[in-house]
Amino acid sequence: MYLKVENIVKAYGKRKVLQNASLQVPANTTVSILGKSGCGKSTLLKIIAGIEQQDSGNIYLNEENITTKKANRRNIVYLFQEALLFPHLTVFENIAFGLRIRKQSNDHIRMKVNSLLEQLEISGEALKLPDQLSGGQKQRVAFGRALIINPPLILLDEPFSSLDVETRATMQQLYKSIANSYSITALFVTHDLKECLIMGDSIAYMENGNLTVYDNRTAFINDLKTGVKGEINFWNTLN
Amino acid sequence: MFKAKSILFFLLLIWCSLPLLILLGLSFAFSWTFPNILPRYFTLSHWGEFLFRNNNLQQSFFNSFTISLVVALTATLLGFICSRWVAYHKRKNLLLILTYFPFALSPVIFAICLKFYFLKTGLAGNLQGIILAQLIITYPYATIFFLSFWNNMIKNYQNLAYTLGSSSLFTYRKIIFPIAKSFLLTCFFQCFIISWFEYGLTNIIGYGKVQTLTMKVFQFIGEANIYYAALSSCLLVLPPVILLWLNKKFIVYQNR
Repeated sequence: MYLKVENIVKAYGKRKVLQNASLQVPANTTVSILGKSGCGKSTLLKIIAGIEQQDSGNIYLNEENITTKKANRRNIVYLFQEALLFPHLTVFENIAFGLRIRKQSNDHIRMKVNSLLEQLEISGEALKLPDQLSGGQKQRVAFGRALIINPPLILLDEPFSSLDVETRATMQQLYKSIANSYSITALFVTHDLKECLIMGDSIAYMENGNLTVYDNRTAFINDLKTGVKGEINFWNTLN
Repeated sequence: MFKAKSILFFLLLIWCSLPLLILLGLSFAFSWTFPNILPRYFTLSHWGEFLFRNNNLQQSFFNSFTISLVVALTATLLGFICSRWVAYHKRKNLLLILTYFPFALSPVIFAICLKFYFLKTGLAGNLQGIILAQLIITYPYATIFFLSFWNNMIKNYQNLAYTLGSSSLFTYRKIIFPIAKSFLLTCFFQCFIISWFEYGLTNIIGYGKVQTLTMKVFQFIGEANIYYAALSSCLLVLPPVILLWLNKKFIVYQNR
């Protein structure tokens, strides 16, 4: 397994947020985690990224134990709900940020950023500042900023939740195509049932800090707590 | 409508600048006595003496400038660092109460309370002591000022930069400081102005041995030397006016 999360426990005071959460993600696949707001899914992602500290449990990436490694040494990119583009940097410089950290040459940076801008269909926006972009464009830039350093794992924390329905669908398709072409390994967290089914190669469900990982889609659909059956019944009733 | 607005603006401008213009005029005046509407004649001698002769007023101007510059720089930097620590601390509210403590007393009473410790440590009556005393006021002020900067968004920017591989130093240099630029400049300007106009604390801790510009103004007024009082008041107003102009140039226009 490429990512292995073992028995993660996390509590804030007396409130237990994660209770022995375990998960495995094979290479080049996306696992989506469905759960209501406040169920602990974002905390799990932050712990994997290294920006939150777990109380106990281990994390392995490509068979290396990264549990105690600092966030900036893990090479795992966390994409927040908001695009969080650096407001004082242009689109070009936002995407180039990871390469500037790695002290790449200007020619190399220009070549890589321009190629990504083209792939993300935002070539014309390179010199704009973030506040001149639409919500969808901002998320594209955030993707570009993550992809440019070719991270072994990307963690997506409801990245499309603030977008309108149409843009959201476009971004989901864009992510799928990019995930295929870049062979991305990712964990995708969402509270949207449909998005969870579209985005994940496999699916997990989180409730009150307990994580259930399903062997296949049918098992996920048949589990009543996931709410899929209820959703199907609703649409059938309309018919 | 436009004309009425212009007239109102013009009147307001005169109303605000008249005291300054009178001060400036008075600093060039010689022998201005009642009932004359204008001085008998104008002279450059007061300004000439200040600019070209080694005198107390010149020394007090440089004292004030040095103290304010050091105090503003130190308070801004320390406040920026400390406020982050306070903002994300579990006991933020308790720390915040402690931060407000220096403002519970008036600066003069506060200075009297501190006087004993300054005397014991040999910091009374010198420049370092005054800088330290003023920092006791400006440092918590800067800390409170920056608290609103350290919100969740900034924390997320930092975390995001870390996951992209950035070190703390690189994150501060390339992300945090540029975002905080207008906050840093505003805080620096305000601390500078607080320090520049400070009188009570400086007088008590400095024992009158370190003469600052505010003390000179009071001294000239006490001596009824209106021409030098006006000149030193003009000098006192000069840096805040420059700072206001810089504030407008670098912060107000930049934020538009």
